[in-house]
Amino acid sequence: MAGLRDIKRRIVSVESTQKITSAMKMVSAAKLRRAQDAIESARPYAERMKSTLEEVAGAGGDASHPLLEQREDRKTLEVVVVTSDRGLAGAFNGNVIKAANAMMEERSGEFANSRLTLIGKKAVDHYRRRRAADITHASDVGSDVNYPEAQEIARGLMDRFEKGEVDEVVLVFSEFVSTMTQTPVVVPLLPFVPPEVPEGEKDSEEEEKLAYEIEPDPAKLLAVLVPKAVEVGVYRALLENQAGEHAARMTAMENATRNSEELIETLTLQYNRARQAAITTELVEIVTGAQALE
Amino acid sequence: MSIDLVVVTPHGEAFSEPVEQVVLPGAEGDFGVLENHERFLAPLKPGPMEIHLVSGQTEWAAISSGFADVSAHQVVVLVDECFKAHEIDIDHARMTREEVEQGLKEIMHDAEEADHRARLETAAVRAAVHIDVYTRHHG
Repeated sequence: MAGLRDIKRRIVSVESTQKITSAMKMVSAAKLRRAQDAIESARPYAERMKSTLEEVAGAGGDASHPLLEQREDRKTLEVVVVTSDRGLAGAFNGNVIKAANAMMEERSGEFANSRLTLIGKKAVDHYRRRRAADITHASDVGSDVNYPEAQEIARGLMDRFEKGEVDEVVLVFSEFVSTMTQTPVVVPLLPFVPPEVPEGEKDSEEEEKLAYEIEPDPAKLLAVLVPKAVEVGVYRALLENQAGEHAARMTAMENATRNSEELIETLTLQYNRARQAAITTELVEIVTGAQALE
Repeated sequence: MSIDLVVVTPHGEAFSEPVEQVVLPGAEGDFGVLENHERFLAPLKPGPMEIHLVSGQTEWAAISSGFADVSAHQVVVLVDECFKAHEIDIDHARMTREEVEQGLKEIMHDAEEADHRARLETAAVRAAVHIDVYTRHHG
């Protein structure tokens, strides 16, 4: 049986761990709120972009752009894996990496080569440790996702696609569904597929489209729009990942805090029992001693 | 007689209110938009945006590249960033301009540095627009 002092020491240790996990939970909750705000702020831009693309793609007819090119002969797949920099977020990063690996496995027949763009320390560490295929780009997420960073990454991807170094680019990241749920998703990025106007709305918008004038011409406008839409795609992945990370950590820390609570209860019970046992033994000894003297 | 000007960036709505007129830096040249403008879409280059407020005042803002979606009662401007004149950090812009000019001189004839140069040039344009808008506002 563990000594009284040992149990006491463990209780103190679990209590201090609990203080840390509950502080981390609170920090994550605050960061999550900020990350959710960032997602909300980015939404109008993405939505306007999408609706404009729909109209231009619809009105432009055969307007083409190098980033839209669907290649017949596809050799190289580039996979962008987005994780967090830090752990202690439950299965958050593991799930993304698992999804990325499953997708690559599934599509290994289609492509002779695959390349990786890794964002977030956890992804970088994972694939470096396994000496994985070609790592084209590896970077940290950093403390706050910003648009210029997303642009930089997106430009690298578009550049490689246009040069023909890669024939398809897909993003793998955690979609922030809710505080409790983050789902890993695989989203194709390049070749870019312009959004289509949903069937039901087509007729009503036809008239408006006729009144639409595009200056100087649809092709030039597409050259501006398509890269921006790709940048927005990458930006969204980073934002969702950021919110997901904090949500996952918040949940993980909440569980850890609750587990500490249970552990403290069990240990306290043990401690009291041990103390009681010690007192009983002592009493028995005193009584026996007294009886022996009589 | 007013038209709703909405400027949207990935960081949120930067501007949203009715204005008298707005002059935008179109890729093919500046253009002004009044109410009841014909519906059209146009790419924008980085430059100053001149906003004639309903109050009669004129406000300036620095925008990056993007595009404008114009309809009869609304102008939607989608750009990477938009800084109103009073939000501009002029010292930072001036410092960037000097650094970038210096950097460009160093790699002037180096073909290897094409990417780097493109980035510096973008930064130079951005700093120049910021300084331009700032001087117009205070001048």
